[in-house]
Amino acid sequence: MNYKVKKIPIEFSINGQKREALVNPNDLLINILRDDLYLTGTKYGCGIGECGACTVFLDNEPVLSCLTLAAAVDGKEITTIEGLAKGNELHPMQIAFLKNAAVQCGFCTPGMILTAIALLKENPSPTEEEIKDYMRGNLCRCTGYVQIIKAIKTCATEAKTN
Amino acid sequence: MLDKEQFDVIGKRFDIKNIGKVTGEEIYSCDVNIPRQLYAVVLRSPYSHAEIKKIDYTEAEKMGAICIGPDDVPDTLYNERIVSIPDKTYRDRTVLPKDKVRHVGEAVAACAAETEEEAFAALKKIKVEWGKKWEPVVTLDDAMDSKAPAIYDHVYLGEKKVDVKNNLACERNISVGDVEEGFKEADIIVDETFNIKRVYHMQLETKSAVCKPEANGGITLWTTTQGIHNVRILLGHIFNISLSKINVKRITLGGSFGSSIQMNSITPICVALALKARRPVKLVTSREEDMYDHSSYPLKTRLKVGVKKDGTLTAAHCQVWVEIGGHNIQAYPYLGCVAGWFASLYKWKNIKYEGKAIYSNKGPSCARRGYGSPQINFPVENIMDILAEKLGVDPVHFRLQNYVGRGDEFWGQGPTIKSIIRSCGVEEMLVKGAELISWDKRGNPDEKSGLIRKGIGVARGFHTSGTGGPHPGEVIDYSGATVKINEDGSVDVITALMDHGCGTWDAGAKVVAEVLKVPFEKISIDNGVDTRTTVFDVNTHATRGVYCGCGAIKFVAEKVKEILLNYAATLFEDRPENLDLALNQELGQGVVYPKGLPENYKTIGEIAEHAHTTSWGTIAYTSTLRQKNCPPCFITYFTEVEVDTRTGEITVPRVVMLGDSGTIINPELWKGQILGAYALGLGVGKLESIPYDKVTGKLKCNGFITDFKIPTTIDMPNIDNIIVDHAHTYEPTGPFGAKGIGEAALSAVASSFGNAVYNAVGIRFHELPITPEIMLKALEEKEIGGKVRNAN
Amino acid sequence: MQTNTKILAQKFEYLAPKTIDEALDLLDKYKDKNIKILAGGTDLLVKMKTINLKVDYLINIKNIPELNFVDTNQGLRIGAVTSLSHIIREEKVKMKYFALYEGIMSMAAPAIRNMGSMTGNLGNASPAADTVPPLIAYGAEVKLQSKRGERTVLVEDFITGVGKTIMKPNELITEIIIPEINKNIGSAFLKKSRVKADLSKINLAVYLEREGNICKDCKIVFGSVAIKVLRAEKTENLLKGQIVNSELINKAAEKASYEIKPIDDIRSTAEYRIAMSKEMLKDGFKLAWARAKD
Repeated sequence: MNYKVKKIPIEFSINGQKREALVNPNDLLINILRDDLYLTGTKYGCGIGECGACTVFLDNEPVLSCLTLAAAVDGKEITTIEGLAKGNELHPMQIAFLKNAAVQCGFCTPGMILTAIALLKENPSPTEEEIKDYMRGNLCRCTGYVQIIKAIKTCATEAKTN
Repeated sequence: MLDKEQFDVIGKRFDIKNIGKVTGEEIYSCDVNIPRQLYAVVLRSPYSHAEIKKIDYTEAEKMGAICIGPDDVPDTLYNERIVSIPDKTYRDRTVLPKDKVRHVGEAVAACAAETEEEAFAALKKIKVEWGKKWEPVVTLDDAMDSKAPAIYDHVYLGEKKVDVKNNLACERNISVGDVEEGFKEADIIVDETFNIKRVYHMQLETKSAVCKPEANGGITLWTTTQGIHNVRILLGHIFNISLSKINVKRITLGGSFGSSIQMNSITPICVALALKARRPVKLVTSREEDMYDHSSYPLKTRLKVGVKKDGTLTAAHCQVWVEIGGHNIQAYPYLGCVAGWFASLYKWKNIKYEGKAIYSNKGPSCARRGYGSPQINFPVENIMDILAEKLGVDPVHFRLQNYVGRGDEFWGQGPTIKSIIRSCGVEEMLVKGAELISWDKRGNPDEKSGLIRKGIGVARGFHTSGTGGPHPGEVIDYSGATVKINEDGSVDVITALMDHGCGTWDAGAKVVAEVLKVPFEKISIDNGVDTRTTVFDVNTHATRGVYCGCGAIKFVAEKVKEILLNYAATLFEDRPENLDLALNQELGQGVVYPKGLPENYKTIGEIAEHAHTTSWGTIAYTSTLRQKNCPPCFITYFTEVEVDTRTGEITVPRVVMLGDSGTIINPELWKGQILGAYALGLGVGKLESIPYDKVTGKLKCNGFITDFKIPTTIDMPNIDNIIVDHAHTYEPTGPFGAKGIGEAALSAVASSFGNAVYNAVGIRFHELPITPEIMLKALEEKEIGGKVRNAN
Repeated sequence: MQTNTKILAQKFEYLAPKTIDEALDLLDKYKDKNIKILAGGTDLLVKMKTINLKVDYLINIKNIPELNFVDTNQGLRIGAVTSLSHIIREEKVKMKYFALYEGIMSMAAPAIRNMGSMTGNLGNASPAADTVPPLIAYGAEVKLQSKRGERTVLVEDFITGVGKTIMKPNELITEIIIPEINKNIGSAFLKKSRVKADLSKINLAVYLEREGNICKDCKIVFGSVAIKVLRAEKTENLLKGQIVNSELINKAAEKASYEIKPIDDIRSTAEYRIAMSKEMLKDGFKLAWARAKD
């Protein structure tokens, strides 16, 4: 196909802010976020849905932005890692990751945190098995996962006591 | 190890200085955006060994892309890793190959355009005219074969031209004593061959570079690197630009494991494009490119060891072969280090080592965490178990009898760097670990029955903390920093020392906090530094971040302390040796006070402000330091495995991990290094390999991680079944008694796994990974599975 | 052919109909062109990135509300774009349709399951698909609609080969229909893979109808062992109408290992798959049997 394809107008909300954009049919959400909106917290790790580094919330559910067309987010709410903290107040999961040394190079961290938040929303008191199973699509090469799982467990326990 | 109670900061845990990493604000090279930047992509060879005749960029340039090829880049022949001194550095590459490509995925040309999509579309229009093509050689044996196509005719070692025969890139032979005599003394001799295959680093951040050309003909660069100064030096050399015009920014790195010790192949390509376009250029590699770009060094080892009936080792003859891919990045020092890791594990008495590195048509191998130590540890620790069994002695006792430890000479980084070990927790860890895992209850393989077989294996390893030695040697190793006290008493630590997530910056801040008694929160070791503002640092590699890097920082901090006390002395009208420096927790500040009169203190903040308002000056110091030792940090693993004899699947339900790092500066991150290494080692043991196709020369997985699986959350044991503990040692030459841990942690993981498998099913695997397919087949051959299944 | 997984490097026309009729109109209009339907995107976009699968018209049907539902009144009726996560959140799926639940849970990870749909799986027609063996085991059907009308086809007949289905270019899967099952039905799904979030080396769905200690009926469906998901009919015939005991199960396991036609590939070996088919048949059958009430 050599002719110019139609650009698609989309409206969406990003971290609570309403935005409009004109996107190409083949634009991917990950690149709109990183290159156009300069929200670089969402990372490219593999491009084919195997590593979880590009995880964002789409209408409050974790999805992989490397396999999401920008055109397909019309009318939807997107939350990236940048949208979690309220001003200077970190989200409990962010605090748990810091306190439990669950962060080394940090590249997998945004995807990990978002997925973990989704887990606790669905299952506020997960067993270690359940945590491991839910997080199995988020790859980390630095931490060996143990301190990440500990962080998620701690966050769940603290949420219960609060 | 000193009681951590006597420290204010060292050994204590604080919330880590990583807040940007959890908020998404941390900037990595791939996140850098410069106004007006172009996006670059690289044309990669589809052939494994082919002559380049001509490249036509007309169509691509018509689309508006800026293109570069072999004729647009300097001719300089270099090695992208300049850690070794020039005389010991092999050089075989240019920015882009002029004559031929030597592996699938090798960069051939590149182009940049307004968007990545446009650049990629233009890239597809670049026409390469290929000439002669050769059959790929992708295995060690094929590459060494006398009929194999010559990948190189000659290369350079330093300034010397060296002919390459039978694809031999380099070799190294070392002898200590007389192995033949040693074998004559032996009562038992074991001679086995092992094979560790290539794995891929799979660091989460793919290699990238952003280059901004400056008006004065220089450049500013952000790139994935473990050492900004070496990148600057190389680029200055290749592009003939004065170093004062090149500024490489220190920027957070998304993991590396050794893959960015060398300047990455895309970095000079990005620079060349930026200089041609006279606009900033951003180049981020795809994962599939990254997998062709680098992988770990494989190692085939034939190890023959002799031992007397009383358990004394008498001789060891070690032959190794490593195929290194299409370029030689650091094979020569690799061979030296492998010799060192092998020689310094046990008291072999007489040693003969022969190592050969062979070119092949694969992506270049480069250092991966341990730099040969995991690769040679596997044969050694397996043979130790084999010998113990033949002698009828406990493998733990056998190791205790023969390990190289405190007071012994060791040469971990190779034969030219010898020193005496001053701190060693090997015995403590072997004894304690055996108890924690219930070593005595592990049983023998032939006693075991049932569908699920359990086994426990032990292995130990080490790594040098850096590459320092009594005299400067083949490897450049020094670091430095500027430490300055700001006008409000906070402190800036300005250093090129990199942190790939291991906690190096954290440790550096803690060291300064401990010396100057300034609260940890008031120390900045943040990014915002670069080659222009820092003195040289060779790299964060070789497990040198704490011992060498922070050792240098401590040295500088102590000089600052001297200046501070000297200045304070004028305020107190006393001599500096009559003053003390302490951290006042209530005030949240460091204080200086006259000895005996702590109540008459002045805060560091007050002193600094006074120095400022009186125009006295800044309390600061800059220097570098070369460590003259590289003390070994040790590791011991006791791994328990469960083998399902019906499916061949192996799980690890329990593990005891013990490390010896002297004083542990940050306990939580130290643990993280060991846990992370364990996952890496498990991957080597049971999951990972990156085979190339013999016919096409391509990666069988095509670079997609769909078919390169690494351990996930599920593969690690449960938290309660993991014990991580440390030896109680103190390294007198290290900052506050500290040594490293990073690479030691990986050295013995796969070995302990393999030994555990043997204990479970009585089968010793000489090659990794032990996949379920391979295990099941081996079980059937041993009639273990067969017996059990028929009884069902 | 060089790839670049950072971007989607081809140009295509994007269409997002809001009703089934709109979708059918578009499919009819462009039936001679290269159309692909976006029902989740996890398979399609990966193929476009990694093997340069060409698409000229991409029709996103995810915004059609009539295609997004799970009706549990009689059996299961699942709308074409219902996400895999939505399906497994249905109590009825979790408590009754074990093989389907376990099949979906074995796939990838939550994010992918939030994005993907079963119709995407069916349209992609991979022999390794994890939802296809359970669907065949339950005797599921797909409803296909076009401007010409509609038809229902058994999932078993829907896929004809690797990436091949009986769908016509102007057709759209609108729903998947799974028959009701009663108390004496038992089912199970098993899978072997390199890591848990992975494509299968081999998978198996077992469905059986129990009457006392007799296996009245059964379906044994293997994936990743042939060019399409395979019903081991000879194995089924061995089991049907027989008294269930260890001897029978072992015989069936042996038979199954001969019925499948696996190959060596990057994930595993034919030899291993054959060995696993035996173990999995035994485990899967026993599990399904225990779940069926006599």
